[in-house]
Amino acid sequence: MQDVFNLTLLQNTIRTATPLILAALGGLLTMHAGILNIGMEGMILIGAFFGVLGSYFFNSALMGVLLAIFSGLLIGLLFGVFTIELESDEFIIGIAINIFAGGLTVFLLRSIFGVKGAFSSPDIVPLPDVNFPFIDKIGFLDTIFNNHSLFVYISWILVILVYIFLYKTPYGYWIRAAGEHPESLETVGISPKKMKYISSLLCGVFCGLAGAHLSLGYLTLFTENMSAGKGFISLAAIIFGASNPIKTFGAALLFGFFDALGIRLQGVGIPSQFTQMIPYLATIFALFIVAKRKLGKKVA
Amino acid sequence: MFKIKIKENMEYLTSLFLSIFAALLIGAIIMVFNGQNPIVGYGALVAGAFGSKYKIATTFAKTVPLILTGLATAISFMSGIFNIGGEGQLYLGAFAAAYVGFTFGSLPVFVAIILAIMASALVGGLYAYFPGVLKVKYNIDEVITTIMLNSVAILFTNYLVNYPFAASQGKMGGTDMISEAFKFTKLVRLSKLNTSIFYTALIAIFMYYLIKKTSFGYNFKMVGENSIFAKYAGVNNKKYMIRAMIISGALCGIAGAFEVYGVHYRFLQNISKGYAFDGMLIALIVRNNPVGIVLMSIFFAMLKTGSNSMEIATGIPSELILVIQSIIILFIAGENGFKNIIKKRKLNKGKLVK
Repeated sequence: MQDVFNLTLLQNTIRTATPLILAALGGLLTMHAGILNIGMEGMILIGAFFGVLGSYFFNSALMGVLLAIFSGLLIGLLFGVFTIELESDEFIIGIAINIFAGGLTVFLLRSIFGVKGAFSSPDIVPLPDVNFPFIDKIGFLDTIFNNHSLFVYISWILVILVYIFLYKTPYGYWIRAAGEHPESLETVGISPKKMKYISSLLCGVFCGLAGAHLSLGYLTLFTENMSAGKGFISLAAIIFGASNPIKTFGAALLFGFFDALGIRLQGVGIPSQFTQMIPYLATIFALFIVAKRKLGKKVA
Repeated sequence: MFKIKIKENMEYLTSLFLSIFAALLIGAIIMVFNGQNPIVGYGALVAGAFGSKYKIATTFAKTVPLILTGLATAISFMSGIFNIGGEGQLYLGAFAAAYVGFTFGSLPVFVAIILAIMASALVGGLYAYFPGVLKVKYNIDEVITTIMLNSVAILFTNYLVNYPFAASQGKMGGTDMISEAFKFTKLVRLSKLNTSIFYTALIAIFMYYLIKKTSFGYNFKMVGENSIFAKYAGVNNKKYMIRAMIISGALCGIAGAFEVYGVHYRFLQNISKGYAFDGMLIALIVRNNPVGIVLMSIFFAMLKTGSNSMEIATGIPSELILVIQSIIILFIAGENGFKNIIKKRKLNKGKLVK
C-alpha cells in the first residue's frame, strides 16, 4: 500500500486534474450562460491536435498553444453559431462536434502526418516544466508542487481569474443573467445572445488549452481519441461543483485523484475500472442529493 | 391538414437532400485540398459499398445495429425523454448475451436464444429505467445521467472481461466464445451478414406498427409533443416516459446481443464503435420516422463500408466520412435556423423595395 499512497500520488493527482480543470472552467461558463455543452470532449481533442501541429511546424510550444487556442475559438464559434444563432438543440450540436472532432483529427493526422493511431516526433516542443527554487529544499512540497508543466500553474491562476470574472465583473454578471433571466438582461440593453457567444468562445479556448496540455504538457504526442472521456468528466466536475469555479476546481482535483489512484492501483494488480467510475457515479449521486433537497423544500 | 403535412414533408425532404448534398460537397472540397479527385473518391466509395455480393452483404450487416439503436433513440426522443445512454445499454446487453451464450450451451437452441435475447433486452431496459425514474420522479436531467451511465457501463463490462470473465485463453479483453448453438447463421460466406438482419426487420416492422398504427404509439408522441395536452387527455406522462426509456434500452440491449451472436461470437471490450451515437444521429436526421431510420441506416452503413474501400483504392482516409456525417447532422439540426434567417432576409428585402 505504501507504493500506492505516497506523495507521488498527490503529484499525479495534480497532473491528471489539470486538463479537467481547464476544460471545466470553460464548460462552467457556458453552463452559467444556460448552455449544456457536451461537445467539450471534441473541443479538447481538436485543441490537442492543433497544439501538436503548431508545436511541430514552428518548433515552438507557444505556437502550439496559440494554434490550440485558435482552433478552440473556431470550434467554440461553430458551437455558438449553431446553438445560439440557428437555435439548434445544444446537445445534438454537442454530439455532432464530438463526432466531427474524432473524424477530423484522425483525418488530418493521416493526411498531414501520414500516420495512423499516433504521431510523435522529437520536433514537437513540449510545454516547459516549472521549478520553484524556494520550495526546492522542502522535500514534500518539492515532490508535490514542483516540476509540473507550466499549464498546471496556469490552470490554478485561471480558476481565480474565472472566479473574479464571473462574480466580480459586469461581464460575469451578464453571462449569468443570460442563463437565468435573459429577458431582464435585454431590458437593460445587453444582448443575451452576445453573452452566450462570449461564453461559448471562452469555452472553446479553455478546452483548447486543456487539449494543448494533454498533447504538449502531459505527453508530447497526439493519439487518436486522446481526450478519452475527459470532456465528460469535466462536465461531471462542473455539475458536482455546482458550476462554481472554486468548487469545480475541487471536484476536478478529486476526480483527478481517483484517476491517479486507479492508475497506481493497477500497478499492484487491482482493477482501475472502479476508481474510473467514481466521477460519473458521484455526479449522478450529487444530482440526486440536490434534487431530493429541492423536493423536500417543496413539500415543506 | 393532410395538405399541410405533405407540404411539410416536402420541405423537410428538400432540406434533407440539400444537407446531404452540401456535406458531400464539403467532403469533395476537402478531397481536392488533399490532392485527390472527389469523383474517383466517391466512385470508390459507392463501388466499395455495393460493388460485389460480399460488399453489399457487408453494407447490410452494418445496418443492423444502426437500425436498432436508431429505433431505440426514436421512441425515447418522440416521447420527450432523451436517452443518450444507448451505448452503455448496448454494452450491457451484449455482455448479458455473451454470458448466456457461454454458460447455457446445453439448453435447447430455441429456448436458449429466446432466453438470451430476453436477458439482453431486460438488462438494457433496466439500465435505461433508472435514469428514466430519476427524470420523472426527481426531475434529474436524463441527458446528463445517461451520458454518465454510458461510461459506467463501458468501464464495468471492461472490468468483467479483464478480470472475472476474461477469456480462458487467447484474446485479451474478451470473454470465452459462445456455444455453437447460439451462433446466427451467416447469409453470405465470409461476410458479417447473418440472420439477425431478418429479426431486425421484424423489430422495425413491429416498431413501425407500434408508433404509427396503435393508440399506444400515439400516446408516446402526444407525451413528447404536448405533455399538458396529453395530461388533459388522460395520458399518464410519466408512465409513458418510463415505458419509452425501457423500450429504448431494451432495443439497445438487443442490438448488443445481435453483435455477439451474429458477428463476434463473444463479448469484446470495444464491441461497439459508437453504434448508439450513430443510431441517435440517424433518428435525429429523419425525425424519428421508422421508415426513414431504415433508409438512413442503409445510407450510413454505405458510407461506413464504402469509406474503407475508398481508403484502400484512393488513399483518402476513411475518417472523412465521420466529418461528412457530422456536417449532415449540423445542417439538419440548424435547418430551422437557416430557414428563419432566409425568411428574415426576404422580409428585409421586401421592405427595401417599398
